[in-house]
Amino acid sequence: MATVTIDSLTFTYPKRTHPVLDDLAVTFPAGKFSLLTGVSGGGKSTLLNLIAGLTPLPAPGAIRFDGHPLAEIPATKRANTVAMMFQEPSTQFTMDTVENELRFALENQRVAATDIPAAIDEALNFVGIAQLKHRILMQLSGGEQQKVALAIIVAMNSDVILLDEPFASIDPPTRLTLLQKLMTLCTQQHKTVILADHDLSGYAHWVDHLAVLDAGHLTLLSTEETQERFAAFTPDRLQLTRVTPPQDTETVCLQGTQLGLFSGERELIHPQDLAFFAGQATLITGPNGSGKSTLFRALVRLSHYQGTLTYQGQDIQKISRKSYARQVGLMFQSAMAQFLNVTLDEELTLSQKNGNRAYFTPERVTQLLDQLGLTQHRNQVIYSLSSGQQKKAQLLCMLIMAPQVLLLDEPLKGLDLASIQTTMHILTSVQRDLGLTLILISHQLSGLDGLVTHHLRLMDHRLLYEGVTE
Amino acid sequence: MNPTLKLALVLIIALEISFTQVWTVNVVLLVVCFILMIAYRVKIKRLLWLTLVPLFFATALVWSLSLQGSASAHFLIVIFTRMFVYVYMGGVFTQTTEPLMLTRSLEQNAKLPSKFAYGFLAAFNLMPKIRTEVATIRAAALMRGQVLHVWSPQLYFKVILVAMNWSDQLASAMASHGFVEGAPRTHAVRVPLPTWNWWACAVSLLAVQLGLFLGLP
Repeated sequence: MATVTIDSLTFTYPKRTHPVLDDLAVTFPAGKFSLLTGVSGGGKSTLLNLIAGLTPLPAPGAIRFDGHPLAEIPATKRANTVAMMFQEPSTQFTMDTVENELRFALENQRVAATDIPAAIDEALNFVGIAQLKHRILMQLSGGEQQKVALAIIVAMNSDVILLDEPFASIDPPTRLTLLQKLMTLCTQQHKTVILADHDLSGYAHWVDHLAVLDAGHLTLLSTEETQERFAAFTPDRLQLTRVTPPQDTETVCLQGTQLGLFSGERELIHPQDLAFFAGQATLITGPNGSGKSTLFRALVRLSHYQGTLTYQGQDIQKISRKSYARQVGLMFQSAMAQFLNVTLDEELTLSQKNGNRAYFTPERVTQLLDQLGLTQHRNQVIYSLSSGQQKKAQLLCMLIMAPQVLLLDEPLKGLDLASIQTTMHILTSVQRDLGLTLILISHQLSGLDGLVTHHLRLMDHRLLYEGVTE
Repeated sequence: MNPTLKLALVLIIALEISFTQVWTVNVVLLVVCFILMIAYRVKIKRLLWLTLVPLFFATALVWSLSLQGSASAHFLIVIFTRMFVYVYMGGVFTQTTEPLMLTRSLEQNAKLPSKFAYGFLAAFNLMPKIRTEVATIRAAALMRGQVLHVWSPQLYFKVILVAMNWSDQLASAMASHGFVEGAPRTHAVRVPLPTWNWWACAVSLLAVQLGLFLGLP
């Protein structure tokens, strides 16, 4: 058990004038679950990194664990005190397999060699992933990787568990399992859990006081205010009302014939025929690791597939890479993958040079930047933006390119509610004005209602349109 | 055989044949390496690669040296076989050693600081990731209307940027899983260093010395 006390914490990134955290004071009680929320770029990740000791503290006494300043806890004891689970599932491992990563963590904790196998099995069983023990980490889906990350935290037996938007790319059932495991850790093992999340669904009966981080200050909401915020995320608002089954009159733009997808030996999609329709906004949903992102990579020729894929009747393998890439674009799940330059302004200039200049006039771009709250970040290095800001910048860059078919892999990942609404508004109006075909993967369903017209479900290795029976 | 000892043996032999000119020893080493690779079931395709690539370069080297005219036939044979020995010994080592076992062995047997041992492992694990990343970067560029060739500096700028980002992430990942530079660790898997390994190493070295001594003109 450990109470985390933060006292007059001010933090400014080097070469920046505005502090991200401004004279912050808060106490996270021991053995409790604390939920932290706030706008993108509001400093949630910064705060968690500071608590985890991953970013050096500006003042040594600003963060204390049970009264002991973080700086005074010896480095070798730190993992025992505080552990962190990251937003990006794949970036938190050093070794190749699940077992080796657990061994690595336990060896660092100086657990006796004879006790390690039992500790590994116990942690894996607690999370319910004993079957993943010998799997290669990089071949696991994002959800499975997050489960492994949790198992490692359980094995390390850290008192304080920090989670930085751990569910950003995770399907609802996995999210619920992980949340329940975290609650068990809180109630039965008295761990202090601090979780940062934008998506507030599913927390209502677990969290009493929501902590909101805004403009460098943290406020603890009352029970009523907290419930009010949660209400905005209740399931009945997540319905997709405009979804219809595809009609015979619709034009097919991408057609897969006996399309099959594999990840190594594992079958993701059993060979089937699949059509995507022009001018529609199609949402693809399905469990983690079921093959949604792999389907996108296949559609842009970045991964292998079985069968044939045609674009407007032409085999995509026979179209030149250059011209195909201009017609079918992908907004990658990781924003980093999209950027080619250093500053946001350079990225926009590149898109404007090669994209749809007639529609995206400089005035319109300035206006969009303003709506997305990116205006003052124009000359900033793109990699130093927060993950939510990067996501918005990425979307804008791809929209300006205006390819006939735009694939969007988790376009709302890491965005706060206000940003989601702005983003969806922009996406909807651009699609309507330019007649684009949009295909989206998103776990986050709130805000999608006004846009999505077809819903494709991936289940049991099959893709099936909502409203269509086999 | 213990990975560290194996690495040391390979390096010592390679060093020795670099400074001596006994082609018979080279041929014997080649045969031994070949047998070892067959015994450890190295794939035929890989074996062919390991043979054809040095064959091309060794032939080119010998051909250009012989055109110059000053090199003796003996020297040419030595050069030709030496190149093969390097590649084959490297082949035996890499094809029979798991990187993770080598890392553990370097840490436990050679007492190398764990920082270096795991740094090496991380770099190794990064290789296939870099290949996918290059393909992704080029595709991302095409979608933005920019063609990145193999010689485009922008491609390398981006790869380096990505790699730097990975190294930060890796450092965070290691730290968050409790890795502390220079701190003592326990070892879940012990890498054995049995006495017969030392004997095998000593006997092999002795045999090479004997061969070199007898073979010297």
